[in-house]
Amino acid sequence: MGVLRAGLCPGLTQDTVQLLRSRGIKTVVDLVSADLEEVAQKCGLSYKALVALRRVLLAQFSAFPFNGADLYEELKTSTSILSTGIGSLDKLLDAGLYTGEVTEIVCLCVSANVAYSLQQNVVYIDSNGGLTASRLLQLLQARTPDEEEQAGALQRIQVVRAFDIFQMLDVLQDLRGAVSQQVSSASTVKVVVVDSVTAVVSPLLGGQQREGLALMMQLARELKTLARDVGVAVVVTNHMTRDRDSGKLKPALGRSWSFVPSTRILLDIEEGTGTSGGRRRAYLTKSPRLPTGFQEMVDIGTWGTPEQSPASQGDQM
Amino acid sequence: LGNEFSFSFFFCKLLARLEGRSSLKEIEPNLFADEDSSVHGDIIEFHGPEGTGKTEMFYHVTARCVLPKSEGGLEVEVLFIDTDYHFDLLRLVTILERRLSRGSEEAVRQCLARLFVVSCGTSSQLLLTLCSLETTVCSRPALCLLILDSLSAFYWTDRASGGESVSSQESTLRTCSRFLERLAVEYRLVVLAATQSLMQTAWQGPAGGPGEPEAHYRPYLCREWQRLVKLRMFFSKQDDLKTDTQFSLVSRHLKSNSLKKHVFVIGESGIEFR
Repeated sequence: MGVLRAGLCPGLTQDTVQLLRSRGIKTVVDLVSADLEEVAQKCGLSYKALVALRRVLLAQFSAFPFNGADLYEELKTSTSILSTGIGSLDKLLDAGLYTGEVTEIVCLCVSANVAYSLQQNVVYIDSNGGLTASRLLQLLQARTPDEEEQAGALQRIQVVRAFDIFQMLDVLQDLRGAVSQQVSSASTVKVVVVDSVTAVVSPLLGGQQREGLALMMQLARELKTLARDVGVAVVVTNHMTRDRDSGKLKPALGRSWSFVPSTRILLDIEEGTGTSGGRRRAYLTKSPRLPTGFQEMVDIGTWGTPEQSPASQGDQM
Repeated sequence: LGNEFSFSFFFCKLLARLEGRSSLKEIEPNLFADEDSSVHGDIIEFHGPEGTGKTEMFYHVTARCVLPKSEGGLEVEVLFIDTDYHFDLLRLVTILERRLSRGSEEAVRQCLARLFVVSCGTSSQLLLTLCSLETTVCSRPALCLLILDSLSAFYWTDRASGGESVSSQESTLRTCSRFLERLAVEYRLVVLAATQSLMQTAWQGPAGGPGEPEAHYRPYLCREWQRLVKLRMFFSKQDDLKTDTQFSLVSRHLKSNSLKKHVFVIGESGIEFR
């Protein structure tokens, strides 16, 4: 941001730009950080003019402080809470997925997370190649026998594939663009699922590469701004790895990623049942609203709590 | 000096020192009981891994500041800088509602009117924002507290895009530290900044005695920042899925090297010290 050039703001002429550049001041940040008296002397510009210029640039480029009361009014109208359709999971999330936030689900078999929010338009970003229409249909059939409802739900899910981080960043930017231009299918999206974040980020990590971590944080920022600015609930899935020293299971992608989601739910396999039952124990390990440590039993094979729906063999990919 | 622009700044700073803004002790006596109110403002760092209560502590302190005097607050203004879209206004509202004796919409709105929230997307924008805050602080004498959540949000991005030398990668943060120092010292603001534990530490055990979590602290932000911090608080959580989660923080006074431990829990109405 902010290379100084003529016309960037009122009062910034080409001559001024040249003079500043000759003294090493090339960007807005350079000008703001510099000692203006020194600059005035070295460049032969008027101190008063430089101070005025700085004031204008700051007004144009710095972030604007919003009053809390005004923000609250806006949030009250723009935030929604979306039920996941699984009662026990909703309890852990404090009624459901909140728009404006990034929620992370960590589990060993990642594809189960397709079971969320099919009452709303969903954009499903698949980076695993694990999502198939037949699997979706199977889950929907367990939910409702009505074929029209099934078709309606399928129509509300838009699937996009992105197999590396650059493709994923492009997809997210395209989505923002579509929403801001009010493309009809995009503007009513309420949930964006990224399945999985690990698949595109873990090839970047490891070794001494700083770029990998910077890219991961850029993705984090894109997801968060998408959630906030567009008003959607972003759900990401992450894998589990074993900690090198202690051997305990923990979410992948390391410490820096751990700060990113507002909420994290860990799905663990119930001992003794293996993967065939579809029952998982869900732990709340991070929340901005509820105390952590809550657990619930969740049946992701059939989309309900174990007592409510008949057990079926959800095949887990 | 000599033109009217800088004269009005000079006058503002004079007013700020004469009128006196709230001191650390008034803001949270539980944590800062032993701090004498200094002539200069104070810069305090909250450090810890995720989920250890740093942001909750910010909400707690914010609530104490914006609540009216009749409800035990200080009735002063707070500026909250959010660098990673983390700030949860609805959570703050819940805390305020629980702490007000009459949690009416109007009472909450009045408290919120004393809060200002700024979101910054890059370290350059943070730098420009900190610089332009001088004008805001000048025109709002009731503003006492500046919260920065968090200072380390741009760490990896800056390291990758700042050039080849560590020094050039840190340059934006260095300038930000300078502006923060100016805001604290010249306007007597209390500055609370969070930094995340991004680095792997060699030691992985549970939090033991008062010295443990902070003994393994590895500073990674620039030296300018390290030099400014008066008090560093290390947050940690007792990782126990069975009982009520307890949080603890160890505060180290950087000049006197004294350590103190505090324990707290987090409820619906925010932090409660034990």
